[in-house]
Amino acid sequence: MKNSKTKSTIIKVMIYVFLTLVAIIYLAPLLWVFMVSFKTNAEIFTSPFALPESFYLDNFIFAWTAGKLGIATLNSFIVCGVTLVLSMLIGSMAAFAIGRLRWKLAGPCMTFFMIGMMIPVHCVMIPLFTRFAKIGLSNSLIGLVLPYLTFSLPVTIFIMTGFFKSMPNELIESACIDGASIYGIFFKIALPLSKTGLFVTGLMTFVANWNELLLAMVLISDDTKKTLPVSLSKFVGPYNTNYSQMFAAIIIAIIPTIIVYCIFSNQIVDGLTAGAVKG
Amino acid sequence: MDKLLRDKKAIIIFITPALLLFTVVLFIPICQSVYYSFCEYKGLTAPKFIGLTNYRNMLKDKSLVYALKNSLFFLIFSCLTQLVIGLLLAGLLTNIEKGRNLFKNIIYLPCVLSSTALGLLWMFIFSPKLGVNQLLAKFGMEGPKWLMDTSGFIILPMWVIAFVALWQYVGQSMMLYMAQISGISKSLYEASYIDGCSKVKSFIHITLPLIRPMVATAMSLNAIGSLKFFDLIFNMTEGGPNHRTEVLATHLYTQGFKFNKYGYASAIGVILIVLCLAVTAFINKVVKTENYEM
Repeated sequence: MKNSKTKSTIIKVMIYVFLTLVAIIYLAPLLWVFMVSFKTNAEIFTSPFALPESFYLDNFIFAWTAGKLGIATLNSFIVCGVTLVLSMLIGSMAAFAIGRLRWKLAGPCMTFFMIGMMIPVHCVMIPLFTRFAKIGLSNSLIGLVLPYLTFSLPVTIFIMTGFFKSMPNELIESACIDGASIYGIFFKIALPLSKTGLFVTGLMTFVANWNELLLAMVLISDDTKKTLPVSLSKFVGPYNTNYSQMFAAIIIAIIPTIIVYCIFSNQIVDGLTAGAVKG
Repeated sequence: MDKLLRDKKAIIIFITPALLLFTVVLFIPICQSVYYSFCEYKGLTAPKFIGLTNYRNMLKDKSLVYALKNSLFFLIFSCLTQLVIGLLLAGLLTNIEKGRNLFKNIIYLPCVLSSTALGLLWMFIFSPKLGVNQLLAKFGMEGPKWLMDTSGFIILPMWVIAFVALWQYVGQSMMLYMAQISGISKSLYEASYIDGCSKVKSFIHITLPLIRPMVATAMSLNAIGSLKFFDLIFNMTEGGPNHRTEVLATHLYTQGFKFNKYGYASAIGVILIVLCLAVTAFINKVVKTENYEM
């Protein structure tokens, strides 16, 4: 008995050692970039792994202003925020119609939306680009919101339909008897009862669009309208030779996400997983 | 109440915005894209129908052959490694009590970070004079040119990029498997321990069969993700050196938006859609054979 106990302790220790190594592989690159972003360009080559001699903040200021990361962050916020609100509203409206209202075409309609989950955005990029150029939507944030919104809808509709379908009938019945209209039922009963679903879908939408690069790169060429990934990708490129500034730019781009993640990590991880399980 | 739920006007108001967006921004462009793939279209003049020429040109396009090879390598590599490592991590994490959330959150972190920023970050870490090579130099070793080397059937940069992609996205698979494992009833395990099963054996005979549906889900997510794969490659190598790390998505971008060959790029897009649908169907057919009661 004692022997098997020591054996299981050894296995436990080995598991922890292994997991710690994995954690180091995950954190070391991020910590290294964070550290060198405070160094001067020369220091990166002479003492890459030492702590920085002084906290040299010019890198960050340069990346923020000359790299146009400040305006890019603002643009990203506008685009993602607008997309988030609209996709939650439009998506749950459609989900309510499919999951709760009674009409013949609800099933086929759902299938139509679900096809959208399989379609990679690459395949619609060229028609969108040429069309938007014709009607003056290229180089505008609205032109970016439209495809973001559309590609966020399938997951939103799928998850919200699940929530609305599982809602007890009695609630809606009693609201009916109280004389509520269908719109009242949607806004005052259905939506508040599906807060978890709204949180999950909102989170998925925001994270996906915040990090989206390809469409933003194709549809927007004006420097003042670029989103964060595009500006970052342009600033940190083969033509720049000041490494510490580029490292600072990377840190600026990821630090807000990391801070939010540190505060709400459990909710975020569980929320996104719940979304992926259902999607 | 029935009358209220059958209200035609309400149904139309609720469903129209989504349906309209979907049709205009997704459905019509896909049809256009398929049509463009049979056309010569360079942006300035109207598309001209040329039949299958774009598809025939693909056979002569050497970069496309690289792109297709790399995309398939990527697909197979990420499906297999994410399955094995994701399951391993999920299995280990469900077996420990202390620090489970901490490790879980650390491994999941890169999934929510911008793949543009992470791609650039790893590009520096694997660049000739920084990061890994500086570390190797400390031990007196000279590292290879991680992202420039072009020897071998699958070249070194592809392995590096595949590793980074695994690093970034394995948390997603791990979480999916963990969610499924925690749903398995404890009594099954207790019964197996009484029968004298070891933990490893019960993992193989109880956990694995029961999470099979989730394996199908996670694998199709991985497969579609790896076919769509763009951000990391674009930021780490831009398809270079000499188009050797090109994948379908980067090739589509270069052909379409650097050389303005809209017709040809659309044809690549069509190939991409077909691959996505085929691979998802294949995985669901092969992996998701039986469903056990839990």
